[in-house]
Amino acid sequence: MSPPDEAHLFLYHPSATSRDLYVPGTGKSDPTSDREAKFQRRLDPDEHWYEKAVFYELLPRGYSDSNGDGIGDIQGIIEKLDYLAWLGADCLWLLPFYPSPLRDGGYDVSDLFSVAPECGDVTDVARLVESAHARGIRVISDLVINHTSNEHPWFKESRSSRDNEKADWYVWSDDDQRWSDIRVIFCDTEPSNWTWDPVRQQYYWHRFYYHQPDLNYENPAVREAIMSAMRFWLDVGLDGFRLDAAAYLFQRDGTQGENLPETHAFLRGLRAEVERHFPGRVLLAEVNQWPTDVVDYFGDGDECNMCFHFPLMPRMFMAVRREQRFPITEILAQTPTLPDGCQWGIFLRNHDELTLEMVTEDERDYMYAEYAVDPRMRKNLGIRRRLAPLVENDRRLAELLHALLLSLPGAPVLYYGDEILMGDNIYLGDRDTVRTPMQWTPDRNGGFSSADFAQLFLPPLMDPVYGFQARNVEADLRDTSSFLHWLHRLLEVRRQYPLFATGDLYVLPADNPSVLAFVRSDIDAQTGSTRTVLCVNNLSRFAQSAELALTRWEGTRPIELVGRSTFPPITTAGYGVTLSPRGFFWLELETRA
Amino acid sequence: MSSPDGEEVLALSASYLERQRWFQRASGDQLVLSNALMSFDVLIDGLPGLARMLLSRGGRTFQLLVGWRRPSEVADALRGEENALLGPITIDGESYLAYDAIADDALCIELLRIATDGKEFARSVRRVSSLVSHSSLVFDERLFMKCYRVVEDGERPEIEVLFRLDSLGFNALLAPVARWRARDVDLALVREFLPTALEGRLLALTSLRDVLAYASTGDEPPLPNTGAPRTTFQRMREDATPEEVCASAGGDLVSEMERLGQTTGSLHLALGDAFGEQSVDTHGLIEEMGAQISRDGAEMDPFGYREPSGTLEGLRKGISALALSRAGRAIRLHGEYHLRRVMRSDAGWVVAGFSDDPLYSRQQSDLSLAARMGSPLEDLADMCFSLGVVAREALSFRPPEEKQVATDLALAWTRRNRAALLKGYLSTNGIEKLVPKDAQVVGALLSGYEFIRERRYDAALAGR
Repeated sequence: MSPPDEAHLFLYHPSATSRDLYVPGTGKSDPTSDREAKFQRRLDPDEHWYEKAVFYELLPRGYSDSNGDGIGDIQGIIEKLDYLAWLGADCLWLLPFYPSPLRDGGYDVSDLFSVAPECGDVTDVARLVESAHARGIRVISDLVINHTSNEHPWFKESRSSRDNEKADWYVWSDDDQRWSDIRVIFCDTEPSNWTWDPVRQQYYWHRFYYHQPDLNYENPAVREAIMSAMRFWLDVGLDGFRLDAAAYLFQRDGTQGENLPETHAFLRGLRAEVERHFPGRVLLAEVNQWPTDVVDYFGDGDECNMCFHFPLMPRMFMAVRREQRFPITEILAQTPTLPDGCQWGIFLRNHDELTLEMVTEDERDYMYAEYAVDPRMRKNLGIRRRLAPLVENDRRLAELLHALLLSLPGAPVLYYGDEILMGDNIYLGDRDTVRTPMQWTPDRNGGFSSADFAQLFLPPLMDPVYGFQARNVEADLRDTSSFLHWLHRLLEVRRQYPLFATGDLYVLPADNPSVLAFVRSDIDAQTGSTRTVLCVNNLSRFAQSAELALTRWEGTRPIELVGRSTFPPITTAGYGVTLSPRGFFWLELETRA
Repeated sequence: MSSPDGEEVLALSASYLERQRWFQRASGDQLVLSNALMSFDVLIDGLPGLARMLLSRGGRTFQLLVGWRRPSEVADALRGEENALLGPITIDGESYLAYDAIADDALCIELLRIATDGKEFARSVRRVSSLVSHSSLVFDERLFMKCYRVVEDGERPEIEVLFRLDSLGFNALLAPVARWRARDVDLALVREFLPTALEGRLLALTSLRDVLAYASTGDEPPLPNTGAPRTTFQRMREDATPEEVCASAGGDLVSEMERLGQTTGSLHLALGDAFGEQSVDTHGLIEEMGAQISRDGAEMDPFGYREPSGTLEGLRKGISALALSRAGRAIRLHGEYHLRRVMRSDAGWVVAGFSDDPLYSRQQSDLSLAARMGSPLEDLADMCFSLGVVAREALSFRPPEEKQVATDLALAWTRRNRAALLKGYLSTNGIEKLVPKDAQVVGALLSGYEFIRERRYDAALAGR
């Protein structure tokens, strides 16, 4: 199959103003540049680039199929890099592309040193990195370090006897009584963290599915093997990793088997190796814990560079449903300051269920009642739905949630398809609900693949609301009022203000609980002046007003960032704002030098 | 530099004091200030100067903080608050202007330093308007000072309770920072200020505002069966009950009310630990119920909390029949526990204030603010009652044509949140040692206390 006609896909609509042709680093737009220059961006040379980056998570098998076999591949991603550059992604996060029996979406890895044949090969990954870098985009991938597939040669050897070379590469026991207090994460399907292996005649430990035995990190050979895998892919050119299930590496009697000092020691070792031989790469830990526990994974700035802020995410959904700011402000108040050079990864949705592990039982019940009425929508301790169906296709609510995502402290992580408000399929198993093929065009298979429908790795959506005929990238690119264009514009605006990424946060009092107002600020490195942006968000479905105490900025004239219109000056009296339903403002408060 | 003469300043203050509502209300009709000066203590000797004047009138003691500056500096210092001027004074032959020091930012900042014994400093201050007998100051948006105008003998109950609870580790309150005490009286209280916290009443009003938005009527044809106006909600789903509307409305408060209930339970347990417990005496409740029924009849307030089976008289008899041992334990009460006394902060609910205004306390006939022991369900009944007050307030903003639907929604809202409050309260760990174990007894007592609360509220509104 030949690459799609990019001139057709990336139509330059005359009414899309020259603002769309933002040229990084100049602060100017260039309406006369040709298409090649339009998408030219450069890699951020800053060693801490990830603090400011916008991440884009995608599923290689579900993104774009270049060879017509029904499965997305690395080459297909390469062919979409111009689109991703236009959208505003700074770093791609690839879900696992390793060989796998695919019983857990690729997280059951059977070879950490190669690429699944249906996705391509190692050379393809190298080309992807090179092509992405040429467009100013970095690439990281998942590194599954806690466990492997039970079809991995390591496990096959380990189970074959009790005294082979890899006998001690996994965690074996004669009974299943040890560590019985440790919680079962996949509680829907797994009755225990132990499973009997009839070959070895022993139990093996697994924190996830039974077919994903945990590696034994007490064994130095295991630690070195993981270190080797990391080096291998960094040599290929990857810019870092999302460390899957990083909290569970070690076990110890009398503990919950999470967040142990030994785990932190190993992660610091990984980081030290990266710093020594691969500076400027990122380690992003997946640790679903309270912020006060997660912060340990940053160490003193010498452990992981980034961690996901899991508890913030369900609270954003809770806040817009309850139309009150306290779910968000509460968790922000509990979020500790990070060491220098560290950053939170914040997100609305991802490839997993919308996890409700880090909320109370009552809050979980509330979220189920509000967002997952159908039991099929529930998975483990979460909700397996995409963003658009979660907000019942409410465009204004989707915009508000993205405005929060892009203005709260942290590096935002977008999930593929959410930029066109893709839907989900709750009739698919496990978390495939949210992993359906990307919808590129209204044509066959949503433009994802030229294969026969029956060959596709998962069926695309075809319902009248979210189906690919109605919702696809091509249509949204042609429609300058689309959510896609809106998001592209907002990402552009955000990029002009690094304070959104690394600035301080100060939550403002507001007499209206439906209004969340906060200030982001930093010192402009070039001018030395303080730049301040006021973010005001209406969490209610009705229009709201609020009075904000802005006397600290008395005399300044707020300028709205998207339209650049000037708002009334700030005086010593309360500053009244009125917001449309689910509306928000980003207002700059300081005059540029 | 010498100090001003206290008697001279007192004489100068007369007309200023006469204009102050807190002074008028407490001091009665006596206009003469002679022999009123109790003390005049200079706190800052220099310029600007600061002194604390205690004076008595009408059986009350008052505190006036007096500042003085050169006349040329006063305008800048008072910045539009010239009504705080007392008048000219002479010190060492030089003329100065004296004024109420609370109007001077610089002196307020000094006051913080003095009141906290040098432990706290601030760069900014703002005054919070207050109608009651103290001046409220916010420093750096992190500290709050209540500077008492009307001073009480002995230990101020609010301060006593705050510091005792804080010492026990009860942290669901605005933490006390310092207490300014001199001449055996409490002069000011400094506590933390949470700028992003929101008064409970505002949260409740917002919640109900969203619910009542469903009561809006449009130009739709009336409902076919009843001919009643078709509401916004009924345009969406004709069979929805008011409770379902409340549950599906944005801003549903139920989860917050449960949390508030738990906070209330914790407060009561802490009060029990701090000040002890005793048996509940229901005789006062029974007698007052009888008196109220006799005086104003047995009509039930639709927003009140009632046991499903009860008439008021039946309720009174049921409470009378209660053995004392079944009525739970009495603790030192908060005394004025309602939605204006609690705040929702980023760390959960906090108790923002304790009943301590000698001019507006419910015990107006009792000049001393002695602690009152009672069933903790009294406090809870007060909070339940305040939900009804909020509901009535929200209803008052709706147009008349929506009245019936809006009232149904408001009633459902009140019931839901009341039930959630009680559920949260009874789920508090350890609360069973204070409240009756029998849920029916709890309901009966709660109903009785709330009935009394309603009648007193109505009486207060009617000026009785």
